[in-house]
Amino acid sequence: MICECFHFMGAQNVEVNMIEIRMHGRGGQGAVVACKILASALYKEGKFAQSFPSFGVERRGAPVMAFTRIDNKPIHLRTEIYEPDHLIILDATLLQSVNVTTGLKPGGKILINSALPAAQFQLPDSFIVKTIDASQIAVIHGLGTRATPIVNTAILGAFSKFTGIVGLNAIESAILEYVPVKAEANVKATHEAYQMLKAENPADLVV
Amino acid sequence: MKDALESNNGKPVFAMSVTDMHKNKTGSWRYMRPIYDEKTPPCIKGCPAGERIPQYFALVKEKRYQDAWHLILEDNPLPGVCGRVCYHPCEGVCNRKDFDETIAIHNLERFVADQNVGNSFPQRFFAEKTGKKTAIIGSGPAGLSAAFQLARKGHAVTIYESLAEPGGMLQMGIPKYRLPREVLEKEINDIKSLGVEIITNTEIGKDKPWQELSDTFDSILVATGATKSRPMQIPGEDLEGVSSGLAFLREFNMQHKRDIKKKIVIIGGGNTAIDCARSAIRLGAYVTIIYRRSRHEMPAVPEEIAEAEAEGVKIIYLTNPIEFIGNGKLEKIKLVQMQLGQPDADGRRRPVPIKGSEFEIEADQVMLAIGEVPKLDFLPEGVHEKWGRVDVDAYQMSNNKGVFACGDSANGPIGTVVDAIATGKRAAIAIDSYLTNQETEFVHYGKVVGFNEINLDYFKKEKRVKQNRNNQKEVLSNFNEVHLGISESDALYEAERCFSCGICTYCDTCLIYCPDVAITKAPDGKGYIINYEFCKGCGLCVHECPRNAMTFEEELKWRIV
Amino acid sequence: MADSLIAEGLEKYFNPETTAEVKAIEGTHAASYAAKLARVKVVSAYPITPQTTIVEKLSEMCASGEMEAEFIKVESEHSAMACVIGAESTGTRSFTATSSQGLALMHEELHWATGARLPVVMANVNRALGAPWNIWADQTDSLAQRDTGWIQCYAESNQEVLDMIIQAYRLAEIVMLPVMVNMDAFFLSHTTEPVALPKQELVDQFLPEYNPKYKMDINDPHAFGGLAKPDTYMELRYNIQKSMEDAHRLIPEVADEFEKVIGRNHGGLIEEYQTKDAEYLIVTSGTITGTSRIVVDQLRAQGLKLGLLKIRFFRPFPVKEVQSVLGKIKKIAVIDRNLSFGRCGIFFSELQAALYNCECRPLLNGYVAGLGGRDVTPKTIEKIVNHLIASEKGEDLIWMELNI
Repeated sequence: MICECFHFMGAQNVEVNMIEIRMHGRGGQGAVVACKILASALYKEGKFAQSFPSFGVERRGAPVMAFTRIDNKPIHLRTEIYEPDHLIILDATLLQSVNVTTGLKPGGKILINSALPAAQFQLPDSFIVKTIDASQIAVIHGLGTRATPIVNTAILGAFSKFTGIVGLNAIESAILEYVPVKAEANVKATHEAYQMLKAENPADLVV
Repeated sequence: MKDALESNNGKPVFAMSVTDMHKNKTGSWRYMRPIYDEKTPPCIKGCPAGERIPQYFALVKEKRYQDAWHLILEDNPLPGVCGRVCYHPCEGVCNRKDFDETIAIHNLERFVADQNVGNSFPQRFFAEKTGKKTAIIGSGPAGLSAAFQLARKGHAVTIYESLAEPGGMLQMGIPKYRLPREVLEKEINDIKSLGVEIITNTEIGKDKPWQELSDTFDSILVATGATKSRPMQIPGEDLEGVSSGLAFLREFNMQHKRDIKKKIVIIGGGNTAIDCARSAIRLGAYVTIIYRRSRHEMPAVPEEIAEAEAEGVKIIYLTNPIEFIGNGKLEKIKLVQMQLGQPDADGRRRPVPIKGSEFEIEADQVMLAIGEVPKLDFLPEGVHEKWGRVDVDAYQMSNNKGVFACGDSANGPIGTVVDAIATGKRAAIAIDSYLTNQETEFVHYGKVVGFNEINLDYFKKEKRVKQNRNNQKEVLSNFNEVHLGISESDALYEAERCFSCGICTYCDTCLIYCPDVAITKAPDGKGYIINYEFCKGCGLCVHECPRNAMTFEEELKWRIV
Repeated sequence: MADSLIAEGLEKYFNPETTAEVKAIEGTHAASYAAKLARVKVVSAYPITPQTTIVEKLSEMCASGEMEAEFIKVESEHSAMACVIGAESTGTRSFTATSSQGLALMHEELHWATGARLPVVMANVNRALGAPWNIWADQTDSLAQRDTGWIQCYAESNQEVLDMIIQAYRLAEIVMLPVMVNMDAFFLSHTTEPVALPKQELVDQFLPEYNPKYKMDINDPHAFGGLAKPDTYMELRYNIQKSMEDAHRLIPEVADEFEKVIGRNHGGLIEEYQTKDAEYLIVTSGTITGTSRIVVDQLRAQGLKLGLLKIRFFRPFPVKEVQSVLGKIKKIAVIDRNLSFGRCGIFFSELQAALYNCECRPLLNGYVAGLGGRDVTPKTIEKIVNHLIASEKGEDLIWMELNI
């Protein structure tokens, strides 16, 4: 694992601003764990990452947020994320109750867990929106029930394909390290979501 | 860099002892000194024979029943008898009575005796012979007790008994339902095992002259007891059917005479009256006791009175006979009701007849049990008597040198088995000193521990054990023993309840409390040693001692010594 | 795009030579792993948000046998500290952790640990005190324990939490004083970031087995905690002060030693950032420091000679270190996420007192910000810097971003 950590040591240092991701979900959906997996996966690719939940006391079903910061240098910033670069929405119904795009930078990508096409959500044109039916993928792989699917690993697969910020192998490796039960099923779900994310406009996909 | 825990003077920089407590000779602070000071428990003083009760309880607690028996024997050779018939004054003074219930000392004594039915006296009781000879007249408890103590000291003892069997009042007076005769026989045989000779059917003055005794023996002890019933001195006493209670008991107990009338009236309130009543009721009679005072003044043991009533004996209090009526044979008794007046010499309120309260009851037999007096007509001229008894000095000796008296035949404490045993023991000690020409040493009791000197924090309230007893209906149809003693577990429980007033039980409380660890166990585990180099005289040990086996004294007293 | 994020010189932070594993973990787990690496033998703690995950992880590790330590369950923080005091009295390396009200409940035992000279190490998650209930970041809980004689340090990152707990044992066991390692609630405690777990053999090399000169030992009985009368008590207090002064000297030495073995150095009692030519200085502690670094970089890019002073140790207080930074500094802004009612920010008053005897006395402003977990953003800090530059006279207490 250590070798993997330092595998990319010789990579070129390109001056790029920090990337900030905000994930919206409901208490119990696994948003916090998803961000932890994301941070771990990013580190495995040689990137600095920081993830944290919206600080406080969450209850099952309540709207929650989790955040991930990514940078090519140590992250000193110790604040909440107000102007994210990308969004991940674990539950589409949140769009009706929470103004999820608050602070999202123009050109930001929004990944929504939904069986509906992206256009259905009528989000501003300044954002790139994609949907993935992560719930169905999760259920197929035995992750939670149809009523309460655990979508956090599947959505990461789609996020990987959508943004290219993190590679599928690193996510897989992080899942194996951080997910205590059904790790294999989670990995499969991640792969499936990656494969399933459709490129309505192939240019949107960075592969 | 030097160790952060060490300061410049080399000592730790935090509160830690650097030497042990031996350096600090706290004994120099002492102005009061605790000492182990065993005191007299009230029960020992309360027992006329001076049985060492808490000490034998300690042995019972260790299940050392034979050792416990030996310890009792030192003071009383008849524990099986006393464990049954004694009126147990020890219990009356027991400190525990003010806490919950008095300790069942009486039951424990019997328990110990019963555990040793198959055992004989220990070797240490068999002393080397001194060659001195003592004659004892009477084989009752007083004579047996004296014989035992004298034999233990190596003196030859011969007892002369007028009746066919030894035991005196134990044999002729006490009913078998209270004292099975095998118990008495066992203990008499034990005494005989020491070489004591008992010659029965020999009345001094009749079958053997006094002179022969005084010629043969170095000393004589009169222990004949009180065997003569006191008369009522009222009209009709010579009627047929009027007799002495004691004679009834003697004839029944020793000659097995069972013929008895139906309507029996017993006059008197002592133990003889109760014994007569309970024996008669077992023979199928209707029994009424007439007593001239109230129950409160009744001299019989309260338990016995209760037993008698439970068995169907009717007791009429505050009533006295004034005439026995009949034509040659008793038919009726004329009685008068009494009331209590001023207390008399012995503290009991004197009964006074109520005028005009006379009434009659039917009776076909009357037993008089209003007291007995000694029969001393065999004594030679010149032996002083007092109130019909031999007048003895503090050493149980009469004015006739070498002639001693004890029990009911001497003046002094009278009336009970244990008093007889006690004076017998006392007489033996005096005779021994007379025979060996040595100083007499009686036990002097020190301070008696009072109830308020017990540390009650160490005791919890507990019920007293109850003796097992035979079925109430069955006991009335025979003369089997009514009480059956207590179980071993009850005995251990009861011994454990004992405060052990003033007597150390090695409970370690003193040792645990000593803040200076100045108290250690004695090497043999029995007792403690106080290291006065370290005892600072705080008094915690004395204060905490549950049983007042320690005393706190002024240090000056010891320093000056 | 993805590749552009790959960092250069990761080994600077996660030296592969000394690292057994890099794990993306929360600050609380960094504390748990540190205790394990320090080969703590007794853990006793009572859970309280946001410290709970420290205890959870430790109890898991104790239960699974991953950690060879006794986990003693207790009914309160007071008992937890009492347990650890007992364990340390026998010369056993022990660990506990708490937060906020829990720390307050420990208060009298904290004094005892110091007076008994027990090198207890404790992680404290800085959380606001009630009433009203608030579980978010605020340093008043630990700063209120100022006079208990505990060495206190404040971490800025999860890596620093881990490294400082290991160093704390080294330091504590030399000077025989307890150490409290503090981390901000949530900003560290619940933030996941990569942390290098050093190789166990290197930690063992850095942190030798603990065997104090005096300890409770059934084979060598002594009485502990007895009465010290007026004729000795003051000397014992003097010795504690001397040991605190020793700690002051030893903190950078221990940090250097740690660097030699493990390859990381977070600084001594203070860390200076861009102070050499600075005219303006921000003084911070805890996680506000990280955010301030970004502001310093940004404003320096605009030509402002701004520096940052991170106070790592509150006790012993880095008086001479702070004095030595002054140089050309004209104005200083102290940012406190804490408050002593009736006075001002606590770091501010300490700093102000430390500078009183200096010949050069810069203008000193005290800013209280972020109480009860309110976010202190780069914007907040920029506001502070702007206010500082405009200030003509020092002010002890300036409230930031107050909604009144």
